[in-house]
Amino acid sequence: MFNMPYYVRKRIIDIGISIIMLAFLALTLLPVGWMVFSSLKSSTDIAIGRVGLSHNLEGKIEVRWSNYVDMWKNVNFGLYLKNSIVICGSTMIIAMIFSTLAAYSLSRFRFPGSDLFSNGILATQMIPAIMYLIPIYIMFVKITMMTGIPIKGTYWGIVLIYSAFFIPFSIWILRGFFASIPKELEEAARIDGCNALQVFWYVALPLAIPGIIATGIYIFLTAWDELMFAWVLTNADTMTIPVGIRLFVGNYQNRFDLMMAAATVATIPVVVLFFMLQKHIVRGLTAGAVKG
Amino acid sequence: MKRSKKEVKKSLWSRIKQYRIAYYFIAPTILAMIFLHISPILQGIYMSFLDLNQMTLRNYLLAPFVWFDNYYKVLIDPNSPIRIGLFEAVRNTFIYTVVVTIGTLAVGMVVALMLHRKFFGRSLVRTLFLFPWIVPTYVTGLLWGIMWLKSGGLVNVMLVDWLHILPSKPSWLSGPNTMWAIIIPTIWRYWPLSMLMLLAGLQTIPDELYEAADIDGAGPWTKFWMITWPMLRPVWFILILFGLIYNTYSFNIVIMMFRFGAGFPGEWGDLMMTNIFRNSFQLWNFGTGAAASVLLLIVMVCIVNVWFKYFKQAEEMR
Repeated sequence: MFNMPYYVRKRIIDIGISIIMLAFLALTLLPVGWMVFSSLKSSTDIAIGRVGLSHNLEGKIEVRWSNYVDMWKNVNFGLYLKNSIVICGSTMIIAMIFSTLAAYSLSRFRFPGSDLFSNGILATQMIPAIMYLIPIYIMFVKITMMTGIPIKGTYWGIVLIYSAFFIPFSIWILRGFFASIPKELEEAARIDGCNALQVFWYVALPLAIPGIIATGIYIFLTAWDELMFAWVLTNADTMTIPVGIRLFVGNYQNRFDLMMAAATVATIPVVVLFFMLQKHIVRGLTAGAVKG
Repeated sequence: MKRSKKEVKKSLWSRIKQYRIAYYFIAPTILAMIFLHISPILQGIYMSFLDLNQMTLRNYLLAPFVWFDNYYKVLIDPNSPIRIGLFEAVRNTFIYTVVVTIGTLAVGMVVALMLHRKFFGRSLVRTLFLFPWIVPTYVTGLLWGIMWLKSGGLVNVMLVDWLHILPSKPSWLSGPNTMWAIIIPTIWRYWPLSMLMLLAGLQTIPDELYEAADIDGAGPWTKFWMITWPMLRPVWFILILFGLIYNTYSFNIVIMMFRFGAGFPGEWGDLMMTNIFRNSFQLWNFGTGAAASVLLLIVMVCIVNVWFKYFKQAEEMR
């Protein structure tokens, strides 16, 4: 083979690599495809490992689209979906406001304490989540006991915690976006007589909108995925999808099929949002890595 | 020229006044961090010295102050429930973190190299490869929890019934195989992120370096070790750091795999986070749970310090 001309050998290697890559792609997507496929089977068929589609009572092959209808009735999935949307959306908005201001400030102003602030932000990522969770849980119980204001199991309790939790990482990403806005534009605005606040509002902010939206979507997706805090800090009314989806299989029933359908439904918004904004998210994540 | 003390002090205060808008901007974040980050951490450390359980919870400020009793229970006392599972949790977390971090890096590197060439449909393929990362972590746990089932799960069906690689169906969700059962889905979910960052890094390496190596007669392996790998150093240092932190604290995937949150991951699948969570919120031992998380934090601070020293050293050697 090595006697062949260079371009032929290169072609063969290229084709070989492409085949390996496609095989790997198929293997990677296999679990996801299996999840969707399983959501159209019956529960017992999943459990025993039948590979084909299920048979209905007459013995004919059926695609159980009914799973996607039953899942809303079996467990209060509509409520969980609504809760997730409300909680994640509110978190996204609050965290974006806080972190945009802080990130702009860190990227443009060299004020005393900025290094301490930015290192502190980074340091919070090192702390295990459970170290916050126990005191926060106890704090919530205490506050309700002492003042009678309900906070554990309410929307705003968990939105507060989520916002605080996700702000540091969004500051880090947004800082990169703000840093990529050329300073000359801001200086030009300054010369034209804008004060710092106007420069921020009229010059920097509009240019950073793609980055801000991408970061907001990222916050939404991370909150959508969060389980531990939601498990402890929500109750039956405010449960989010990650907590509620466990109820399909448990002490009273074993509906694997509905669970797979619910898992698919829970994944769809993530996929849609991600593909709408993948360019920006990818740019935001890799900017930090490559620029260093 | 040395400034007098009075002059230095004046310039600090006037700098603060000059940048006051910066302080306004960070004020909301600082408030949020103080109340919802710093205060809980301090309380957590304080709680680790209290005997806090379901009974004393009501009046936690008055709960009995037991000094290092909780730490003793975590580390030494052979009868306490948290100590019993602790050794396994630590060992599992260590193996899991190391294998997953290296695994995601290795797989990501290989695929990034494969995607680095130009070919038709490259953007589409790269986007499709990101799919595992988009699937939420708890869905990953659920999905693989079903795939690893002994008699009906896809993995066993494929390995035994279709491909005949193994003679009989092993149990993945109990026994030592549990370690693989938690490692593989995690690598599956996170390698696209590594690939993305490594690919971006690959694209910054100038082609002239490779051309010069070709002229010198270097083979592909040499080119990789001498050019590609060193130039990607910033990327994989960051990936290793985040991998270590993130995987040590891993929770979602593992907890959802074992009877969808209700089960016990087993002695080979239990991680630090699931262990502490179980002890705190299911056995209601908050005091010992807080003590264990403080210890975990101390370990992490040491790991990060070691990493930073190594990184600084490596940077200075260049």
